[in-house]
Amino acid sequence: MAFRPRRALAVFWKDFLDLRKNVGLLVSMAVLPTVMVLVPIGVVWSYVRTPNHADLRSVALFYDPSLPLGASAARFLIDKTLTDWFGMFLVMPVFVPILIASQSVAGEKERRTLEPLLASPVTAAELVTGKSLAALVPAVAITWVAFVFFCVGVDVVAWPLVKMPLMPDALWTFGVFVIAPLFAFFGNGVAVLISARVSEARMAQQLSALVVLPIVGMVGGQVAGFLKAGLGYYALQGAVVLVLDAILLWASIRLLDRERLVSRWG
Amino acid sequence: MSGIHVEGLGKRFGERTAVEGLSFHVRPGEVFGLLGPNGAGKTTTVRMLTGLLRPSEGEATVWGHPVDGDGEPLRKVVGLLTEQPGLYDRLTARENLRFFMKLHELDEARAWPRALHYLERFGLGGREEEPVGGFSKGMRQKLAIVRTLVHDPKVIFLDEPTSGLDPESARTVRDAVAELASEGRTIVLCSHNLAEVERLCERVAVVKRRLLAIGPVKELRRAGHALDVRVDGEAERYRNVLTSLPFAPNVLAEGARLRVMLADEAHAPDVVACLVGAGARVHSAVPAQRPLEEVYLELLREGRG
Repeated sequence: MAFRPRRALAVFWKDFLDLRKNVGLLVSMAVLPTVMVLVPIGVVWSYVRTPNHADLRSVALFYDPSLPLGASAARFLIDKTLTDWFGMFLVMPVFVPILIASQSVAGEKERRTLEPLLASPVTAAELVTGKSLAALVPAVAITWVAFVFFCVGVDVVAWPLVKMPLMPDALWTFGVFVIAPLFAFFGNGVAVLISARVSEARMAQQLSALVVLPIVGMVGGQVAGFLKAGLGYYALQGAVVLVLDAILLWASIRLLDRERLVSRWG
Repeated sequence: MSGIHVEGLGKRFGERTAVEGLSFHVRPGEVFGLLGPNGAGKTTTVRMLTGLLRPSEGEATVWGHPVDGDGEPLRKVVGLLTEQPGLYDRLTARENLRFFMKLHELDEARAWPRALHYLERFGLGGREEEPVGGFSKGMRQKLAIVRTLVHDPKVIFLDEPTSGLDPESARTVRDAVAELASEGRTIVLCSHNLAEVERLCERVAVVKRRLLAIGPVKELRRAGHALDVRVDGEAERYRNVLTSLPFAPNVLAEGARLRVMLADEAHAPDVVACLVGAGARVHSAVPAQRPLEEVYLELLREGRG
């Protein structure tokens, strides 16, 4: 069975077109990036607004007891917020493909469009590729656009205190352009796998969304001071997710077996 | 090898046998009816013949392509109309069709005029830029039929093609089916509408997990040895005379006509002799064709036994 990119692109084109016309889903997809951009900007602004507040030093010392006396606690906390927030920002490339892929795979079952689709010459690999692209491209694009707004917002808000652009830094640039696509692939893989097993898009979304919990948990660990985030820390997360991506890709193509899908859902 | 060739085809899902020992052939240009009650294995059979399910036993080729192969060349030559139209509601009719043209790697410039021809034929001309979500049930069914034909398939499987259509649209679809067959395509029609099957199909197969009967519609209707007898006056008065015969358990009387079901065709002269003996003036006695529905129900009853 030869892989025909044209057919995979046809699936991508159809799903992308369908997504563009799905207002409810577009609104759901817009909420998360808005929160992901506005919350850290708000936090940075609160540090910039009262940089000499005595409590800031106490908080900073909690995270780094060796913080020099002359160092600005506000600046330290801004840097820490930006480093830690990247972990939270990774929820977005995971969650957006979950929203899309759950609709596109389980949605085919709900709308009874699966059997005509599977009766066409498209192969399971082409179907997985097309549907994955339709979830990944918007997810990565949204992440990158949100990143631009995030950088501009943080720099504008932080300027009065730091008098220099803070963003984009090396961690965020590497993270957004290398690690975020890997996380997006992970979210998509989980959603495709779960969608192939359940009958409803909503159930697929709810189950798939559980994978963001470990990510949020790790950010919680950073905020609580148990985990120290940095470039190496995120690169390690990226490497683990890369391995998981390969496993998910293999499993997705296997699970999107025509016979299994038709006999269960067709 | 064109047409459809099925030999001993069977499918099991775990312990459950959905279909077993099916054998039949369908010629190019033939409209073949696949009949059976719900759960009889019609859909499973169609799914095997369209490359969606792998057979557990037996073999089959569809337009020369084995059904247990990789399925891709097979799916290029078949068109499948499923029981549910299965359309993308947010997409327009044109976008729905374009998607399937792309999946079949068709040159859209060439394929679209064919699609447009069918859209116009089915009364959907001028509606191609409208979202399918706003279409009526009948319009959706007609669009699904166009989608089935868009890649010019050699073998077409139609599951309840006139379901949800008004009489005029149903007639258009039936005419289109006949025309497609006349172009040399093989058509398999699954339907519970036996009048439609009688009108369209040359031969039918009745299945209920296994093949119960197969043959030309006319022959099946003749099977079961019924005799139509025309007598002078009211036929009703001779009914009791005939039902007392051991070989004619079922007799219907209507006006001057008697419909006598016979255990054996050889008893036809005995029926005439009995009627004459009872004082009837017999005008004619000819082997009767029973309605397909009656044959079908009888086959299912026998299949149950």
